Amino acid sequence: MWINLPRASAFPCCNQPPTMLTCALPLLSDKMAVAAGSGVKVPRNFRLLEELEEGQKGVGDGTVSWGLEDDEDMTLTRWRGMIIGPPRTIYENRMYSLKVECGPRYPEAPPFVRFVTKINLNGVHNSNGVVDTRAVSALAKWQNSYSIRVVLQELRRLMMCKENMKLPQPPEGQIYTN
Amino acid sequence: MAENSGTDPTVDSNVVENAASDETMIVVTVKTPKDKEEIAISEDSSVAQFKEEISKRFNAKQDQLVLIFAGKILKDGDTLNQHGIKDGLTVHLVIKTAPKATVGGTSQSSASSSGTPQANSSVNPSAAPNDSTTPGTGPTPASTQPPNLLSGFGDLSSLSGMGMGSANFMEMQQQMQRQLMSNPEMLSQIMDNPLVQNMMSNPDLMRQMIVTNPQMQQLMERNPEISHMLNNPELMRQTMELARNPAMMQEMMRNQDRALSNLESIPGGYNALRRMYTDIQEPMFSAAREQFGNNPFSALGGNLDSGVQPSRTENREPLPNPWGPPGTTPSEIRGTGASTTTTSSAGGTAPSASNPLGINASGLGNGVFGSPGMQSLMQQISENPQLMQNMLSAPYMRSMMQSLAQNPDLASQVCTTSALSAQQQLMQQMLQMFAGGGGGSSSTVTPEVRFQQQLDQLSAMGFINREANLQALIATGGDINAAIERLLGSQPS
Repeated sequence: MWINLPRASAFPCCNQPPTMLTCALPLLSDKMAVAAGSGVKVPRNFRLLEELEEGQKGVGDGTVSWGLEDDEDMTLTRWRGMIIGPPRTIYENRMYSLKVECGPRYPEAPPFVRFVTKINLNGVHNSNGVVDTRAVSALAKWQNSYSIRVVLQELRRLMMCKENMKLPQPPEGQIYTN
Repeated sequence: MAENSGTDPTVDSNVVENAASDETMIVVTVKTPKDKEEIAISEDSSVAQFKEEISKRFNAKQDQLVLIFAGKILKDGDTLNQHGIKDGLTVHLVIKTAPKATVGGTSQSSASSSGTPQANSSVNPSAAPNDSTTPGTGPTPASTQPPNLLSGFGDLSSLSGMGMGSANFMEMQQQMQRQLMSNPEMLSQIMDNPLVQNMMSNPDLMRQMIVTNPQMQQLMERNPEISHMLNNPELMRQTMELARNPAMMQEMMRNQDRALSNLESIPGGYNALRRMYTDIQEPMFSAAREQFGNNPFSALGGNLDSGVQPSRTENREPLPNPWGPPGTTPSEIRGTGASTTTTSSAGGTAPSASNPLGINASGLGNGVFGSPGMQSLMQQISENPQLMQNMLSAPYMRSMMQSLAQNPDLASQVCTTSALSAQQQLMQQMLQMFAGGGGGSSSTVTPEVRFQQQLDQLSAMGFINREANLQALIATGGDINAAIERLLGSQPS
């Protein structure tokens, strides 16, 4: 009876495809989603404003959160993200803060992502928390339909991977200083 | 519309309570990974006030709440305005299960830039990850004890949390567990004992016992699924019924094996299985294996020839004689395992200096009292009456005693196995102490009176057949949920 396994446990695999933004509920307008689906390029600021709105409305399952670092930032470049450590992993109950920088070519080019909270995760530099673009499939195979949310969710999925879910972690509350 | 836009100082100086009624209210959705609630709050309130509302709604303590909005953690000193939280927006909530100490945290927060989270404020640079989040369990000497995996079967370590933690006791209990783990026969003996069954029918008790075991706690941290399991009363009940009913347990195990083999055939399933194994079973098995390794002869436990050597400082359970007559030991165990009511008589032991009541280690009867662990317990008790007093005053023991008292067969069985009157006196003393310990229900209470409260509940739910209710309650030992299932199952659908 002591090895009575819980019934409804999920076994996530690492190679699940990231969710496509086109499938998400459009918030700003239907036209924008249709435009994205049909290949019309949506201007950067429109896209980022839409993502801002999504972040404030809490689209998704509530395990990641994102928003502008500075509300006065008119260029919508610097963003903050938060990932809640997935349960049943060593990251459980921790909150990881990230900085996301959407360059001028976003969404054609992927954003730069780095962890602020110290974390031991494959694909994240130990010294400064910078996320290696090649290690995260959403960044490596970036598409302009992807978004900040997709990246954050992908990172969270990485935490649930077998190779990562038990890595020893630094004590809570530490941040990268550079 | 309210005219006074500011707080009225004369009404109530505590702004917190009045703010909501005076200013514009906004409705903010608070979302946890599990559910979401809409909370109305004044738009000028601070994060602390917001947390107060949330703690009421989610039934969590304020310091367990962590709020996140737009990728930033909301600190208590901020205001909702500062973060731009407006009507209709969503704030994410994380309820931390173990509130961390804030001692080390505040010094760290100075290093953070705006918005950098410092929610988890305890810093434990030296503690291993496993140990750092142990919630207050009292003086459990986790590092000094060898691991005790089985926390449920007569585990008296929970008593240590009640201030007993003498080295004697812990050692003794470890010995008992070691014996238990290694000898499945003994295990079934114990399970058959109505005393233990009574204990196990109390789900809260079981849960507590499991939770306070430090080994389990470590396991629970590494595998939070186990704590989910424990918190799920449905699952607990089922598990306990399993434990009570070995046939059902076997069935369950078979089903599980079948399910596991099915899982293997699913693509990717084998990997998942492997993961499951390493996550859950390995720590348990490694803990169990340690016990095995320590005591290779423990499988022979319970034989008559082991010399009784109670020591004053530590209880070294006498190693059973591996070269003793092999025929007697297993058969002896089997004999006692088969029926818990036959009394095994063995030669009495003359009282010795360290064994004042001359308790015969092997002659103490059957079931749980027949196991070497319990025997050594009795010896310890006889040497140290204070210990007994402490033990009996624990509520845990009280329920044991209740069942003992209610079951005169068991009591007599326990009392009359040995010819030693001193032992009988001991048992009577125990019973008297229980009775003198006061409070508990008398030993002559009828089931109807005992289950009065449950009967009322059942009749309020619509089960009007009082006799059937009573039968069901007696059968399930007062467990309402199980009784209801019984009642429903007996009706043809």
